[in-house]
Amino acid sequence: MLKVLLARKVLTAANTLKGLRGWKLAKNLLFAGAGLLMLWALYSAFWRLLTYLDGVELIGPMLSWKLTSMVLLMTFSMVIVSSIIISMTTLYYSFDLKFLFSTPLDLRSIFMDKALETVFYSSWTLVLAILPYIIALGRVKALGAGFYLAYGFLMVPFVMLAGVFGIFFSMLVMYAFPSSKTRDITWLLGSLSVSFVYVVFRFSKPEKLLRPDSLEIVAQYIQYLQSPTAPYMPSWWVTKAMVAYSAGHWRAFAVNSGVLCLAAAALYALLYYVSGRLYMRGFSGAQSSPRFKGGRNPLPEQRLAAAFPALRSYFTLYWKDRLMLGRDARYWSQIILIAALIAVYLFSIRQLPLDTADLKSMVSFLNVGVAGFVMAAIGLRFTFPAVSLEGNSYWLLKTAPITTASVMREKLTVSLLPAVFIGLVLITVSNYLLHADLFISVLSTFTIGVVAVVITVMGIGFGALFPDFNVENIHQLESSYGGFLYMACAMGYLSLVVGVEAWPVQMHFAERLGRHAPWNMRGVAVCALAFAALNFAVAYLPWKLGLRNLEKYEI
Amino acid sequence: MIEINNLTKTFGSFKAVDGLSLRVEPGEIFGFLGPNGAGKTTTVKILSGIMRPTSGSVSVAGFDLATDPLAAKRAIAYIPDEPFVYPKLTGWEFMRFIGDLYSLPVPDQKKRIPELLELFELSAHAGELLESYSHGMKQKLLIASVLLRRPRAVLFDEPTVGLDPKSIRRFKTLLADIARGGAAVFMCTHILDMAEKLCHTVGIIYRGRLIARGTVAEVKKLASGAAGERSLEDVFLELTE
Repeated sequence: MLKVLLARKVLTAANTLKGLRGWKLAKNLLFAGAGLLMLWALYSAFWRLLTYLDGVELIGPMLSWKLTSMVLLMTFSMVIVSSIIISMTTLYYSFDLKFLFSTPLDLRSIFMDKALETVFYSSWTLVLAILPYIIALGRVKALGAGFYLAYGFLMVPFVMLAGVFGIFFSMLVMYAFPSSKTRDITWLLGSLSVSFVYVVFRFSKPEKLLRPDSLEIVAQYIQYLQSPTAPYMPSWWVTKAMVAYSAGHWRAFAVNSGVLCLAAAALYALLYYVSGRLYMRGFSGAQSSPRFKGGRNPLPEQRLAAAFPALRSYFTLYWKDRLMLGRDARYWSQIILIAALIAVYLFSIRQLPLDTADLKSMVSFLNVGVAGFVMAAIGLRFTFPAVSLEGNSYWLLKTAPITTASVMREKLTVSLLPAVFIGLVLITVSNYLLHADLFISVLSTFTIGVVAVVITVMGIGFGALFPDFNVENIHQLESSYGGFLYMACAMGYLSLVVGVEAWPVQMHFAERLGRHAPWNMRGVAVCALAFAALNFAVAYLPWKLGLRNLEKYEI
Repeated sequence: MIEINNLTKTFGSFKAVDGLSLRVEPGEIFGFLGPNGAGKTTTVKILSGIMRPTSGSVSVAGFDLATDPLAAKRAIAYIPDEPFVYPKLTGWEFMRFIGDLYSLPVPDQKKRIPELLELFELSAHAGELLESYSHGMKQKLLIASVLLRRPRAVLFDEPTVGLDPKSIRRFKTLLADIARGGAAVFMCTHILDMAEKLCHTVGIIYRGRLIARGTVAEVKKLASGAAGERSLEDVFLELTE
């Protein structure tokens, strides 16, 4: 039966590929090309890093394998967390589950089908992301095609083992507390775990690995390198198998890969057995909705609408969005991730080894680009999906006597204030930590204010240009073609902003260094004009294109 | 009233609606019949403003949907076959949302919303999130939101799907009330018995073209060899074979 269920996925994928023609095919090829370019950039960076590490006298090979074990451990942890979050949807809330449960299919087959789906969705991006690292590792260590084949073989039980933890966790939690409220709590815990792993990893200062002098004695450093990274974790078994392969120790390779495969087989056999007893209760409970008792008191926005009748539709959409987002744990739990991101960002700024005041001010200026990137990443998660999050209910707005522009304007204002606030926090605290001078502080604060507005407008514009009202979760939107294009355009925009401001900043540093008559006011005026034109164009074009597309959009 | 002139909608080379023209007068209940994929839902989506026609025009209450869409939409109420509503709003909040979106006076809303929720037996669930409502409850809530607005044209796409027998009976009475209040009712349905008993006029669409239009009695006569007592179902099956 599982074969039949898996066959439908293969058919769906095949039909999707067959349906790629014309513009759709070109768009996907472009998307794939850009993705390959990014992977290539990652590969180049990893290759340089691993070449350097491997070249370190005596400890070089140990260093690169230690780093590999850390990368695999990190991947393993991230797949576990992803599988916890994703399994909640795939196992209990997928669109097709009600249909599958109505068929004479064995419960265990349905469960295993959904379990494999969970493993796939929670691991494919991470497996793809570490691929450039593995290719670089194989090249640096001059290992042949067999190494990559062995790695591919090891990855299957590796991600399956990582995924099984999340699946077990979800199944047990839903069995113990069979309610849709459990899903919200699990999502919250998932966000907390990701934030925790991220913050702990950064605060442990992994850069120490590259600086042996930071440890007290060399022997301690070598001992650290030789010690296993989490010896009972499958990531360590994979590392050992890969080390064994590279050294030609076939017996050790067979033992470690055997342990990995046997562990995966045993856990899935257990999962298969246990699911028959536990799955139904959780699934049944998930169909019930938690009791919620809303009041009938007027909301603040409704009072404002009464005071300003001209803004009535705006305030109406605003309170609707505020209530919807506040009640959706998937959405607001991600705020924890943002807090973690900001904390790590500011910690990294504080740790920068900068010696001179000039260097600190220079970094404060370049920091605008990095802070802008963080804001674009946050925008990808919150602003870009805003239009699509209307979901299947979008028909209500489409048939209402309100313009598409007013819907987009309302979405913009929901995102705008938080975006400007986050931007200002990132830049002002960074400037304080770096002791930036007054000119750079004022310039960077002003710039990030403008960048926050433009990136938010872009987010709504791109969201309207590439809407998808049928997605099951925000992650699908983030990894969509539109999301990718939004990020790529945001990157291009940020580099242009830094480029346009570079000349006046250069004049400022010339003045700091005591050069005679450093300011060219005509040049400053040209840069100011270019800055204004750039920001206007980058905000206006996506907005207009998005508006036109959404007006024409047919449900 | 609803006026459709030479309406055509194509998807690539496929013509979903082909040169459709008809009028539905105020107070008239018009039943739009047709087999699956005949173009009913596409037509009603164009009338509601969700889709744009490839050619032709639609006006509602004298407002052209292409040139004055906001005024036309103020006059229209649309209920789709799938009652998608915001899952994280409560029933009460949803009614207020519709009331505010269509600029209904707040005192009116405060008076009418409890009455309508009571009428549809939703009062006890008014504080619950819509994600916990059944299909039928959502459908009833949407019908209640239509009555809250008192529109001049009402578009229903399979309105009784998911409703229990008691609610269907109440819906039929309400439909007649809406029409008596002067609204033009445009209803897509597969339930021919209901169309026969409830609609003043019916139209049959087949492969995008309107193949029959008139009162139920007139449409029955259109079928070839019409003789004796024949139901609308017999005629429908004969015309769409």
